[in-house]
Amino acid sequence: MGIITLLVNFIFVLVIYCFIFSVIRLIYMDIKSMSYYRTNGSGNFPYLKLINQREMLNYKVEETYSLAKESTIGRKDKNNIVIKDPYISGFHAQISIKEGNYYIKDLGSKNGTFVNDKPLKNGHEWRLSNGDKIRMGQVEFLFVDVINGK
Amino acid sequence: MFGIFTYRKPLNFIIALNLLAYSVMFCNLKPYKVETLYFGLGIIFMICTAYFIILKTKLGDEYLFLIVSMLISLGITMIYRLDNNTGIKQAIWTAIGIVLFFAVCQTFRLLKIWDKLAVYYMVASVFLFLITLLLGRNINGATNWIVIGKLSFQPLEISKILYILFLACYFKKPDQLFFNGAKFDETKRIKLNKLVLVLFTFINIFFLMLQREWGSILLISFIYIIILYVFGNDVIFFLCNILMTIPVALFGYYFVHHIKVRIDTWLNPWADIAGKGYQITQSLFAICSGGYFGTGLGLGRPDMVPAVNTDFIFSAICEEMGILTGVAVILLYMLLTYRGLKIVMKVKMKFYKVLSLGITTMLGLQTFIIIGGVIKLIPLTGITLPYISYGGSSLVSSFIILGILQAISKEDYVEADGGEVDEGE
Repeated sequence: MGIITLLVNFIFVLVIYCFIFSVIRLIYMDIKSMSYYRTNGSGNFPYLKLINQREMLNYKVEETYSLAKESTIGRKDKNNIVIKDPYISGFHAQISIKEGNYYIKDLGSKNGTFVNDKPLKNGHEWRLSNGDKIRMGQVEFLFVDVINGK
Repeated sequence: MFGIFTYRKPLNFIIALNLLAYSVMFCNLKPYKVETLYFGLGIIFMICTAYFIILKTKLGDEYLFLIVSMLISLGITMIYRLDNNTGIKQAIWTAIGIVLFFAVCQTFRLLKIWDKLAVYYMVASVFLFLITLLLGRNINGATNWIVIGKLSFQPLEISKILYILFLACYFKKPDQLFFNGAKFDETKRIKLNKLVLVLFTFINIFFLMLQREWGSILLISFIYIIILYVFGNDVIFFLCNILMTIPVALFGYYFVHHIKVRIDTWLNPWADIAGKGYQITQSLFAICSGGYFGTGLGLGRPDMVPAVNTDFIFSAICEEMGILTGVAVILLYMLLTYRGLKIVMKVKMKFYKVLSLGITTMLGLQTFIIIGGVIKLIPLTGITLPYISYGGSSLVSSFIILGILQAISKEDYVEADGGEVDEGE
């Protein structure tokens, strides 16, 4: 009789903890999807879309980066877009906006920036168009611009 | 239809818990009462209905109500085990609370005038305090109940909500609430506003002192200081407020006999086990006689703890359902506070920000103060554990603030348009 009571009490406590863990799990998945929507929800600006599989990289990268304003990309925390890839330099590249057009410039990085597999010459500004593939270090992005593209 | 029975949905666990709890109670409590099972089914029905209404009308953050329904399940189970009639009354108050929750949720969003009623909040608050003093009934040494017919009611729970609403109006634009039309210059106006704020806070504390509600005084001062810290502009003013609490606390300790007794009992209850220390020692005995998994519902002796329905319900839960359940209850409150803080950060309008911070702080601190008092971490005070303690006014006010929090979260929920991940429908 004592065993049954102990078992019933144990199951009781187990049910409560299963509830707590399922709520935490739902909350975690909610947070994970929230950051995606946050960078994409505000208006129709161009954005960078990650091509690599996020699980293959062992550092934190977002699926999309919104390019509403001029952004610098690099490993140091002072950049707008921080990617802690070992093959990306401290200040790797810069995306600037001139008259509604988007330009990418390499800031003297060690391993270079590649647009559509062609290396960017140092200091040379390349005008980005919809569908360009940008590669820095191990990450590869797709430049998506639905307003000015096509 | 059968999709709802997947193991991942948290609601299933609540249903399972209630079924298990009431069956165990039925088996353990002799003589066998079939009403126990009917009551359990009624509770399950009530919770499921409310949850599905929230899901269908997309009422915002659904996790808030999930966490709260787990808490009320545990509370109603425990109170029903202690005394069937009290349990039924608690269930009725819970039903009223849930209806109010939906009502507040809808009306809060419809009427957008809540931030302009600062003066009305102050007047209503003082009015409630005066009514309690004049017409109140003296129960257990404190005059803080109003009895109408068979229903007793504690107005100070409503006063706490009014105070938080007033703080939200004030800090919407700090120090610029009053005297806008008058011909004072800027610095004088700021000083007058600060004076009004401090004065109103002290009026609240003074009235609560007359009602011997030390727990509520602690709660209100902490809410005031935290909101002042987060939203206030002036560091010196904030430091002055903190410094002012020290003489008030010392004054309370040396001159108010009741507080001195409480603190001495906290430091050493074993010196007067049969007298002043009886409550806290019985509570400690109850908690430790439960072990990890508890004695089982109906097999312990939680009725030996005085005031077990209201203040010491946590000890009863720990005795019959184990220390691990007590830890789970604390975790649930922490989850609730976390969701509240997330709502605070997401909301854009300042009035709603301050309001939700006040509500979240109130829930979290109230839980901490009463659980801390029950386990002898801090001196014991007389406030209730939200959603679990027996008490109509406590339940009603807790559901009202939950409704406000839910309404505020829906505001942003609609804007974000991405929303929650819906698992396994």
